[in-house]
Amino acid sequence: MENDELESEELDEFESDETNREIVVPGEVLTEDVEHFNPGRGTLLNKDKTKIIALNIGLKQIKKNYINVIPLRGFYTPRPGDKVIALVIDKNPVKYKCDINAKDTAILKPKNTVRRGKIRGSRNMEAEEFEVGDILVAKIISADRLNMPELTLVGKYLGKKANGIVISIDPPKIPRVIGRSGSMIKLLKNLTKSNIFVTQNGRIWIRGENIAYERLLIDAIKKIENEAHTVGLTDRMSQYIESEKQKRGIK
Amino acid sequence: MPLIINDIYPEKLFREDGKRLDGREKNELRPIKMEVGVISNADGSAYLEWGNNKIYAAVYGPREVHPHHLAKPDRGILRVFYRMATFSVFERKRPAPGRREKEISMIITDCLEPVLFLELYPGTAFEVFIEVMDADGGTRCASTTVAALALADAGVPMRSLVSSVAVGKIDGQLVTDLSGIEDKAGDADLPCAITWFNEELSLLQFDGDMSIEELNESLLNARNALDQIHQLQLTALKSKYTSILEEVEGGED
Repeated sequence: MENDELESEELDEFESDETNREIVVPGEVLTEDVEHFNPGRGTLLNKDKTKIIALNIGLKQIKKNYINVIPLRGFYTPRPGDKVIALVIDKNPVKYKCDINAKDTAILKPKNTVRRGKIRGSRNMEAEEFEVGDILVAKIISADRLNMPELTLVGKYLGKKANGIVISIDPPKIPRVIGRSGSMIKLLKNLTKSNIFVTQNGRIWIRGENIAYERLLIDAIKKIENEAHTVGLTDRMSQYIESEKQKRGIK
Repeated sequence: MPLIINDIYPEKLFREDGKRLDGREKNELRPIKMEVGVISNADGSAYLEWGNNKIYAAVYGPREVHPHHLAKPDRGILRVFYRMATFSVFERKRPAPGRREKEISMIITDCLEPVLFLELYPGTAFEVFIEVMDADGGTRCASTTVAALALADAGVPMRSLVSSVAVGKIDGQLVTDLSGIEDKAGDADLPCAITWFNEELSLLQFDGDMSIEELNESLLNARNALDQIHQLQLTALKSKYTSILEEVEGGED
């Protein structure tokens, strides 16, 4: 269960009880009752302080006295601590440059690629070498608005992926693929007998028993992405996978 | 066989029954159709049919700026590329961007900038590509409307949407939403755009002659039309998701 760590951190906002099914668009007035509500994520209090407006296209959520908008579309902004799937796009003696699906390319320094189990500074310390085009599962150690994000490969489950398929979905819909306390990902793993690793930058690494399972899984993830804003998705997905299995003749 | 189209302006822009040449009332808009998410490779996209205008818009970003010297260290930039297809007008349009394209790209940039939070994305660019496939008057207004829609579809944080319409004067009477022929043969043309978060004009151009009273009345006409267009924009944005919602809930019953 490679995603255990990630699951505990993620809260499925899409499925939460406070989430209204109402779709809001930028500029839409969420409430004019500014005394009882505060602007939360994805919202703004207008200049006259008379109403709270939405900034994104998304779902309206009221949490205690905060009004949030859970985005349905958007781009990935790197944050320290996030696990990401990175693609090596450039290599030189002092650093690797990696595409992490963000506005900046990320940097990976060789000192952060020391193999697991080796003690840093010891004689037989060996940094792993990568080639352009390699897929890495990495963790972000620093990221801000101005500087390029920095990656590390030191940690659990991090390192190069030698096999499997990487697919991309909209980054805001990643919590939906994980589900409330990891329910969706467990379902996908059990029903398709596959290994899945979901990362915050909208990329998903999958590896199934055979190509038929992998294809089914890709279709299922695309369906989740498409229907992320609907209710009762987990139940519908289990039905979908079962029926597709019969249609495609997979055991 | 070359297609020869008689592009002669008619003497009167009103029919005998008091309606306009295309059968509209004075303050009636042309039929408008909007759709979002039409280009799968773009981050956000929209398509608009406004009368005979057919316009695509695609948004990419935030991403690195090329050429790099245009990047601002303290804020992001918005770049708009307005282009007309060679077949969009009667006489073949040369594909190179001319003075008119550059001007319209600039006014759309200035019009959309106030609704974006560019200061949050230093060193990057949002790029909007607008391609006019068919033009029949008021493409700058239609382009502004569809560009705002595409930005919202891309998930770019925005203070509000932007809507735009052209009002003007033909044969001495004030009308809303001028078509191509009315634009050329009419007395005055007044494209304007509104940012809905503060309800201020974000674009105002003027061509022709009109008295101050007429100008004020025209702006009131424009305001009514803009309200209608805003509603259409909201429905277009939401329908992408509500259609899936209905499909799913309909299947369960």
